[in-house]
Amino acid sequence: MAGRPPRPGAGIGLRAPHHAEVERRAPDVALLEVHSENFFGAGGGELDLLERLRARYPLSLHGVGLSLGSADPLAERHLAAIERLVRRFEPLLVSEHLSWSSIDGRHANDLLPLPFTRATLDHVVSRIDAVQERLGRRILVENIASYLEFGESTMPEWEFVAAVARQSGCAILLDVNNVYVNSVNHGFDAHAYLAAMDPATLAEYHLAGHEAGPFGLIDTHAAPVAPDVWALYAEAVARFGPRPTIVEWDAKLPALDVLLGEAGAAEAILAGRHLAVRAPEHVA
Amino acid sequence: MSALAQLQRAFAAALHGGALEAAAPRVRAAGVPPAERLALYRRNVRATQHDALAATYPVVRRLVGEAFFGVLAQDYLRAWPSRSGNLDELGHALAAFTAAYAPAAALAYLPGVARLEWACHECALAADAGALDAAALARVPAERQGEIRLWLHPSVRCVESEHPVVAIWEANQPGRDGTLAGEAAAECALVWRSGGLVRVRRVESAERAFLHAVCGGASLDAAVSALGLEDAGRVAAVLARLGADGVIAGFTAGEDAA
Repeated sequence: MAGRPPRPGAGIGLRAPHHAEVERRAPDVALLEVHSENFFGAGGGELDLLERLRARYPLSLHGVGLSLGSADPLAERHLAAIERLVRRFEPLLVSEHLSWSSIDGRHANDLLPLPFTRATLDHVVSRIDAVQERLGRRILVENIASYLEFGESTMPEWEFVAAVARQSGCAILLDVNNVYVNSVNHGFDAHAYLAAMDPATLAEYHLAGHEAGPFGLIDTHAAPVAPDVWALYAEAVARFGPRPTIVEWDAKLPALDVLLGEAGAAEAILAGRHLAVRAPEHVA
Repeated sequence: MSALAQLQRAFAAALHGGALEAAAPRVRAAGVPPAERLALYRRNVRATQHDALAATYPVVRRLVGEAFFGVLAQDYLRAWPSRSGNLDELGHALAAFTAAYAPAAALAYLPGVARLEWACHECALAADAGALDAAALARVPAERQGEIRLWLHPSVRCVESEHPVVAIWEANQPGRDGTLAGEAAAECALVWRSGGLVRVRRVESAERAFLHAVCGGASLDAAVSALGLEDAGRVAAVLARLGADGVIAGFTAGEDAA
């Protein structure tokens, strides 16, 4: 890496409409995160761009389509594409979601919730083992936002998430917004969720915006980070310490400066300057 | 079947248009009917897949309008369910689907436009290759020129249609008002990548025959005959343009490659 050394600072989820501007301006962020699937092509301009950005920034490869929790066999072609990217770009972080998307080969292309049972836990752990073995490295798995719970679940989500990390040796990408959204949607205490996490397994934070849905909250990634989520993030940082943090914004993408402002606010919290931080005014 | 597979099948059936009730008994109500919770997921899945198709087929969408495209997308997804965690693969059969899609039967040019947009999509993601070394090509000794075989760049696609697909595609790019200039005629589009960007241009029948011959592994001599041009200067101009644009990416002459 030619540029800055990795530090537990804040960065942004980089989306195509911002590619050219990020390259031109080279903003001072600690890292960039991209969706792995957006770079599955055999060649072309996007991969060239990632190559150039990689020379300047530590990179996080964030997968949205591996369907880690599916009862289907692990998608060999998908995993091979991730492996190719990991070998080529040597990212700082490689992550997937604690969810499923496909069954019998048919994809929903969405992050669907799992039942929190002992059997699901065993299944997910064996899948993470297989992925870590294949990639030759530790991966991170992210807690998702959800809009329902299954009657057959025998443990709370936080217990499931903590057990996945403990049993597989993977790390946790704690999406603070998802913890908050689920705490509202399913009526649990977000602080209890944080208290169940082992600091040694926490390797990254995500922040994003949510919006009110027909019932509860929806993790839309189309809004600024909410004040309550900033507060929960500050609590997580105080509890577990600073970790690389990504602000995600996927729909109704704002100007790059708005996104960088959110990353700046996260950076201030990571640096312990959070007492002065409120929801950034420029995005209000 | 494992309990997990059972649950995922019931859930998937609810998502993909089956009765929401099949999965509902396994969902905790907690103040909201399970069917409403499942319906939210169903809407999210449809929106994500619709948006992916819309991103791949902006001209098709503009031609048929947003409402029609929404219905077309849902009908397509029922016929061709997503089989990949990579949304870039979702629209692979849309052209074939629209060709047999009765509600679009009056829009005879639509499948051709869809083929062109899929060609652009594939083009953007195709493998990289070097550039033609024109000087090396010129140095091939006369006695070995018959052995020359050109290679096209992996991003090159040709799309033939009985309709003016290039004119339609051009007229429906952002900033254009959709008005077609000139008369409606069959067209062949050449799609290729240059400097990381997807390019589209019309090719006439002679050049098309040449590209087909090259694709089929014909020697340079045979491909030039397919071009059907008597004038050596015009042949050289066609070759020079294809080389400079990066459509031709290299050649072999017997054992040698460049």
